[in-house]
Parts: sequence; C-alpha cells; structure tokens
Amino acid sequence: MYRLREDYGTTLAYSLAVAAALYVVWKITQSPEQALQFTFNGLAVGAVYALIAIGFTLVYSTVWFFDLYYGAAAALGAYGVFYLRSFDTLGGRYEVNEPILNAVFALVTAGVAAWAMHEAFGARLRQRGTSRITIRAIDGVVGTAAGIYMWFVLTFPVLMTALLSPAVGVIVAVVVCWLLYRAYRYVLFDASAVPVVILGAVIGCAIGAYIGRLIFQTDGAGLYLSWAVSCLLAGIVGLALYRGLYAYMRERARSPLVMLVASLGILLAMTAFTTIIFQSAPRPLPDAFGSEPWVIAGANLKGFNIFTVGVSIVGFIALLFALKWTTFGKAVRAIGDDEEVSKVVGINTTVVIAIVFFVGAVYAALGGILSGHDTAIQPRMGLLLLLKGWIASVVGGIGNLYGALLGGFVLGMIEQFGIWDLAGEWKDAISFVLLILFLSFWPNGILPRR
Amino acid sequence: MSIHTTIEGEHAPDDFALETREISKHFGAVKAVDELSIYIPRRGMTSIVGPNGSGKSTLINLLSGTLPLDGGMVIVDGLGLHLVKAHETPDHGITRTFQEVRLFDQISVMDNVMVVLTDRRVFPALFERAKQSHRAKAQSILESVGLWDKRDSLAMELSYGQRKLLEIGRAMALDVQIYLFDEPFAGLFPQMLERIKGILKQVRDDGRTVLFISHNMDIVRELSDHLIVLDSGRLLVEGEVDEVLAREEVIHAYLGT
Amino acid sequence: MRIILKPIVNSLNFIRTPRDLWRAWRGNIQLWANLFVIGWAVVFMLWQGAGFAVTVGTVFAIWAMLAVSLNLVVGFTGLLSVGHIGFFGIGAYSMAVLSSNPEYEQLRTEALTTFAWPFFAALPVCVLLSGVVALAVGVVFNRFRDDIYVLVSFGFAIIAFNVFLNARSLTRGAFGIHEIARPQIGGWTLNGELQFLLFVLAILAVVMLIAWIIVTSSFGRVLTAIREDEDAIEVFGYQATQYKLAIWVISAMIAGLAGGLFASWTSFIDPFSFILLESILLVSIVILGGLATIWGSLLGAMAFVLLEEGMRFLPFLPAEYIGQARQVVLGILLVLLMLFRPQGLVGKYKL
Repeated sequence: MYRLREDYGTTLAYSLAVAAALYVVWKITQSPEQALQFTFNGLAVGAVYALIAIGFTLVYSTVWFFDLYYGAAAALGAYGVFYLRSFDTLGGRYEVNEPILNAVFALVTAGVAAWAMHEAFGARLRQRGTSRITIRAIDGVVGTAAGIYMWFVLTFPVLMTALLSPAVGVIVAVVVCWLLYRAYRYVLFDASAVPVVILGAVIGCAIGAYIGRLIFQTDGAGLYLSWAVSCLLAGIVGLALYRGLYAYMRERARSPLVMLVASLGILLAMTAFTTIIFQSAPRPLPDAFGSEPWVIAGANLKGFNIFTVGVSIVGFIALLFALKWTTFGKAVRAIGDDEEVSKVVGINTTVVIAIVFFVGAVYAALGGILSGHDTAIQPRMGLLLLLKGWIASVVGGIGNLYGALLGGFVLGMIEQFGIWDLAGEWKDAISFVLLILFLSFWPNGILPRR
Repeated sequence: MSIHTTIEGEHAPDDFALETREISKHFGAVKAVDELSIYIPRRGMTSIVGPNGSGKSTLINLLSGTLPLDGGMVIVDGLGLHLVKAHETPDHGITRTFQEVRLFDQISVMDNVMVVLTDRRVFPALFERAKQSHRAKAQSILESVGLWDKRDSLAMELSYGQRKLLEIGRAMALDVQIYLFDEPFAGLFPQMLERIKGILKQVRDDGRTVLFISHNMDIVRELSDHLIVLDSGRLLVEGEVDEVLAREEVIHAYLGT
Repeated sequence: MRIILKPIVNSLNFIRTPRDLWRAWRGNIQLWANLFVIGWAVVFMLWQGAGFAVTVGTVFAIWAMLAVSLNLVVGFTGLLSVGHIGFFGIGAYSMAVLSSNPEYEQLRTEALTTFAWPFFAALPVCVLLSGVVALAVGVVFNRFRDDIYVLVSFGFAIIAFNVFLNARSLTRGAFGIHEIARPQIGGWTLNGELQFLLFVLAILAVVMLIAWIIVTSSFGRVLTAIREDEDAIEVFGYQATQYKLAIWVISAMIAGLAGGLFASWTSFIDPFSFILLESILLVSIVILGGLATIWGSLLGAMAFVLLEEGMRFLPFLPAEYIGQARQVVLGILLVLLMLFRPQGLVGKYKL
C-alpha cells in the first residue's frame, strides 16, 4: 500500500515534469524569438536567485537554521549602492544624506574591526607578553581608525574613489605579500623568512600602488567600489549579528525555530528602518553598462544580464574552490557535519562560523545589488528575494551548493516560461506552487545532499 | 491489494503474542534488520539482547510502526500486517517506550499520562473534558511509579530516572496485551532499577506480554522467560534463557573471543 | 486574574511590609507584563477619554481574534504558520463580494457581480469558505514540519495575496470593493462605531470561549502532545495528521470570521490589507503576547494597538512613519524575546 502510493506520486511527478517540458517545446515551436527572450530573462533572473541561494546554502549547511537576515542583507546591499551613488541618480543625495545613519554604520564597522583585530592578533600578542591593556588599546585604535574611515567614505561619496583606491591598494599589497610568503614557506619551509618578507613587501606595495592608481584614474570605477563597500557593509552587519545574537543563542542551544523568529524580527526591523529612511517607493539604481540592448535572433539581451550570469557563476566557482581546497573549507564542512566534534578536534568554530555568516551576507548583498540594477529597488525587495533564494535551494536540493546554482536557474526559467500565458503578476505565485510541488514529490530536490 | 492477510499455519494463533516473518529494514546500504523471523510467546517476559547496532531498537521501531517495514510482515492476533501504522498499534494491543526517553516535555507530568487515556477520535475528543475516571487512572499510574508528588511540574523538569519511570508509566496507562520496552534499565541508579524491575514483573503477573531490550545479563537472567539474541540484523539464537546463554555462539558474539 | 492574584495569595503568610510584596513580585514577569499593558491601556483611557476605546477597540478586537486563532496553531500545536493572513483575506473578500451593494457597482466601468446579501447571511459563508480552503491547504501542508513549514506558509500568504490582487474578475484587484454591508438586526443597522465595537467584542468573547473549550478539552491536550513529539503520540493511537488538520481548519474559520467582520467594519477593502507583512506582524503579536495562552494573545494584540497609539504622541516622529516605527519596535522586541524569553510575555510554551 505504502509503496503503491509512493509509485503513484513518482509517476505523477514525472508526468508533471514531462508536461512542463512538452509545454516549453510547444512554446518554442510557436515563437522561437519569444522563447529566446524568455530564456535570456530567465537566466538573468535565475542568476540573482542562484547567488542568493548559494549564500543561503553555505550558511544553512553550516549552522542548520534558516537565517532570514539574508533578505535584509540583499536590501541593504542594494540601498548601500543607492546611498553611495545617489548623487548621480534621480532625487539626488540631499534627500538621504543622514548623519545618524553614517554614524551608525561607522560604529558597526569600528566594532567589528576591533573584534577582528582582537580575534586575529590578540592571542599572539598575549603570548608574547603584551599587557592586556595594550592589546585593548591596539584594538581600540584599529577600530576607531576603521570607523572614522568608514564615516568619511559614507559622508563624502563623491570623493569615494579617491578615498577608497588607496585602501584597495593596501589590501592588494597585503594579499600579494602574504601569497608570496606562503609560496616561499611551501617550498622552503625552514629557511629564514626575513628576505622574502622584505621582497614581498616591496613587490606587494608596487602592485598595490599600481592598482590603486589604476582605480583612481578609471572612470566608473566608483560604481564598482560602491558595490564592494555595500557588500562589505552587509557582510559586516551579518557578522555582527552572528557575534551579538546567534552565537549567544546557539550557546544556549535554542531551537532552530527560535533563531528563525529572531531573524524574522531583524528582517522586520531592518525593512521598516530602510523604509523610514528611503521611503517605500521604488527607486532606480544608476545604469551599470548602458541600457542599449543587443539584438540576438530577434531577442533583446542587455550586457548587464550577461554580466549577472557571469558574476553568479564566478561566485559559485570561487566558493566551491574555497570549500574544496582550503583548510577553511574543510573546517566549514566539518562544522556542518558535527559541530561538537569539530570543536573537540580543535577547529575554532566561532571564527569559522562568523566568516561563513560574513560570506553568506556578501553573496546576498551581491544578489540584491544585481537585481536592483536590473529592475528597481524597494525596501521590501529583501523578503521576496530571500524567499526566492530559499525556494531555489529547496528546488536544487537543500544543503547542496551545486543544487543551489542549478535551482536558481531552474526557478528563474520556470518563472519566466510560466508567465508566458499567465500575466506577469503571477510570478511569485508560480514559484511557490513550484515549491509545493517539489516538496511534495521531490523533497530532496534535484541534487540531494550526498 | 489488501494489507491484511489471515494467517493459517503450523501454530495456533494463541501460542504467540507476536510473530514476524522475514521482516527487513534498510538504511541506505546498511541492513539494520535482515529477513528476521521471530516468535514472541504470549504471557511472559521476553528479552532481546545483542551487540550495539544489531538491530534491536530498529526491531521495536518496526513492530510499533515508528519506522515503516521494507519487507516481510508482522503477525499480531492472527492478522498479518505488511504495513504497521503507528496509530493503529494500540488497536492491535501493542504499546512501547523509547530508547531516548521521549516525553511531552513542556506539559505537566499529569497531562503526560492523561493524554494517552482520553478518546482517540478527533470529534469526540473535542467535546470531552477530563473525566474523574481519567484522573483516577492517572493518579493510580503516577502513584505506582512514585511521581504523584510531581504531578504539576513539567516533564522537562524531571531527572533522567524519573523521566524513564514516567515514560514506562505512560505506556502502562494504555491497557494493552503487549508492552515493548526499549532499554528500560539503561543508565539507572540501582534503586531505580529495582523499581522498574518490580513494575515489569507486575505487568507480567497481570498476564501481559512484555518484550524488553537490555544489555544487563543479570537482569535478563533474573526476569525473562524467553530470550532472543540478534546479531547484525539477523536472529542468532532464541529459546530458554539459561539454555541460550550457555551456547557458544552467544558467548562468542558477546565476548568476541 | 489568577496570574495577578496567585502571588498575593501565596505570599500572604509572610508578607508584612510593602517591601516583602515587592520581593514576591519582582521576578514575576507574567505579572509585570499584565500590569504594564493593562496599566498602559488605562492611562490612555483616562487621558484620551472613553472615545479612545471606541476608536481603537474594534482594531484591537479584530487583531485579538486573529491572534487567538493563530495561537491555536502556533502555540498549542507548534506549527509556526506565517500565512494566516490568507484566511483573514478569504473571509474579508467573501463578505465583500456577497454583501456589497450592486447598485454602487453599476456605476463602475468594470462592474463586479455582487449579491447584496445581508451581513448575517454572508458571515457563515465567510467562515465556511475559509474552512474549505483551509481543508485543502491543510492536506498539503500536513506533511511538512519546522522550517519547511514556515517557508510553505509564507508561500500560502503570497499566493493568497496574488489571487486577491490579480483575480480581477472576482476582487477588482487593486481598486478594491466598496459599500460592504454593516450588520443588521431586525430593522436596526449597527452603523455607529460604538455599536459595532460592542458587537465585535461580543463575538470576540464567543471566539475566546470556543478557544478555551478547545484547549481545555482532551483534544487540546493531544494538540500539546503533538507539539512536543508527533511520533511519540502516534504510538498511543492518535492520528496526528487528523488532529493537525482539524485545528488548522478551526483556526482558519476563526480567521475567516475576523475577516468578515473587518470587511464589514471598514466597508471598503483592497488587497493591501492582506500583504505578507501583516501576517508577520500577526505572528509577532502572538509571540509577544505569549505562546499557548489565550489571554496572552489578547495581551499581545492590546500591546500592539497601544504601541501604535503611543507612538502618535512621540514629538519627533512624523505621522507617516508611525507604522514603520512600530515595525522597528516590534522587530527589536521579537529579537529580545527570543533571546531572553522564548515563550513570550505570559506564554507557556518555548518555541
């Protein structure tokens, strides 16, 4: 009896899938241009969903609860870009230059920078006998500096390129230096480090200075810098929420539903806060790549759409590599399998999970920004984008990174082909009907986790 | 396809309280229970022993419908079940406890017992208030397991031993023929152990069938009439306790010598 | 009342001075929550006069009805549903379509078919229709648990909103439906605010009575057991899916009733009263007030209404931001509750 019912369900599911495929084929024969157009749109929308689903999956498969903050992160990213670039959008900066908001973000940045400083170097300094007060002072100085810098960036967005290009240069220099040092250590692991550090510093500084200058001189670099700053902000807020809230709750072993409700509260508060500052009406973001579409076989394709798909795939590959081939990735997977055991074998779970939260929020913010450039932004976009990302990860297979990418594109395509005969307003209903079908017939998604 | 089959066979239905025919359960590639056929005699105490991972708990989960069968059938009262539905097991005269104690944590101890006494049908339950007879029954159960003083505290506030007692009491509140106890003696204080032993003996003396899992051979020797030894999902030996425990393969499976 | 009286009675033996009373009450968050919210309401009443109760009373009663109905599902059965506003909307729209005045419709370009039924004929239909939809939805939803249930219930709210907004031949989309009938008893129409308030409060009392009967019956006890451990209660012969379906339908019917009253009260509805956000607010009311208590839902709804009214008097807050500011406060309250008191102010169940 039980088996009979299961067979019946599977048959129904496959016939539904076949019917959908036949419908698509029929539509393609009816009007190939239109089908191509819908495919382009589906890929562009799907790329955004995929980005959000990837970040979401990363976090979910590590800590096993649904963090609704990711909706707020998407909106935060998009509004960050709007805020930083609003001198060249409609409305103008005078509407939204909020000293309080700048101060709040500067404070958050300062706090997180001080914490990061403490986590990274505090223990080592303590081992060398530095007094606790000195360490606190160093943390404070670093935090204050970061906060003031952030405040400058937010308050004078016109000067952003000038302010940020040195920072990018410094970051590049540090990364290059570190990479050289690691490569050297890999080859000659017991030789003296002094020559390579000096050499690395010189090379790193040179490359960093060059890149900084390049950014400063390039027109339009400001937009991408504003993307970076917004993503960073969203990531920092995600990290701060983890440290201040979720870590505390996880210590007390609160159930996943409690965390979900708490993150719902955060989403509610942040959405309303955004509405108070920016009003609820939709706002446009400045055009990224010009709005003139290319015409391919009768279908319009915007350069930006290709870029979106590219970003999502690059983001996916980067995360995949990070998870597969670095110590950090191994630690993340270990925590996802069993947090207690990973703690016992000496993984610093707090730091690893904090980084995971940061990265997840950055992906969500990137998704929000890309979707904002494509359409328009409004404060409540976050919740809907989040739900779509959530659906995409269910469709692809919860907890599976490949599934998240695939699910995003599948959801985008189905949404677009679904509104061919129905009106466009039914898009959200279609994706939720898809969700319920998937949960009923393929609860594990297209690519089940292991 | 009918899911119930009437069984004719070599045994009169009255000989055995419960019988399984080639039941199996797989978790992925692992065969937790592998074509297992056992007989549990009526009105006695039967225990199941076996090394860790030999499928003891899975067997109880299969008998009580907590896990669906992958194959085979369970025979209760001359009725062969290919599909044991958890909510129908009391009608077949079966109830159970869980290995990891599963109480209703955030309701009171009294309600934990009361909840299994009331009407099971949805609509009559909607219009049924707690009756005096229910209260009296719950009181007698709680008194027999020594938790009457704690009746108003939440189940989550009890200690481990008290939780174990409450769970056994909750199972006894159901007036059925077959009781399946999943490791009732694990992790208990000796005094508590005696108490639970007493409860089990009492149930047996009432003419019910008791099936329990235990790792403690002294208790098994003391209590049970019939013994089933499982090893990696298969039946190793079954029979009289002393007879079985003296056999070489049992000693081998247990001591690994 | 018991919550307030119990500590007094318990502590009568050793209370000699007011300080002892303070000590006995200090850690009693339930008591303080009650005193705070009720005191707040009384202060407003004294300050603004009885007219204040008339203006906010109906809103409070409708939210309270919804909160009680959702608490049956979230608090007593442990299914965290964020889609309850859908049933509220179904109730409201059935009331609107059934009882709206067709003469008014003739004046519109895109005339809807409405029936001009009297209020009391339409109300049972609202309730029944919500119940029927809930039955269909519940059969599908019954197989999901925990966070997937939350996601799916989000989906229900969004699908319902999409239907209200886009099924124009039935609801006239964003333009809404006008001239919905007020209740009429004999020849007497309840047109006044005060009359309607009393009527709604009477219905709220009935709803609370029904909820009380449900949760104190054997059925209610089984629901709490399902909330704690669904697999364990099945072993004792209870079919959890049937119980979940039954309470889901009952709860949806109460929400549909509230929807019908709401439509009649405002006499104009559009889809934007039934957006997902309202549903999230409803969940936060239930959690704020307290899970698994009927009184808690009332308290939550009262706090919610008073929060809005209280914000009206903040000098630095422009009027158009009150709704948003309330959301900010609710969101932060939700986070604080989840941190320190996961059962809500007077609740009996920790999520």
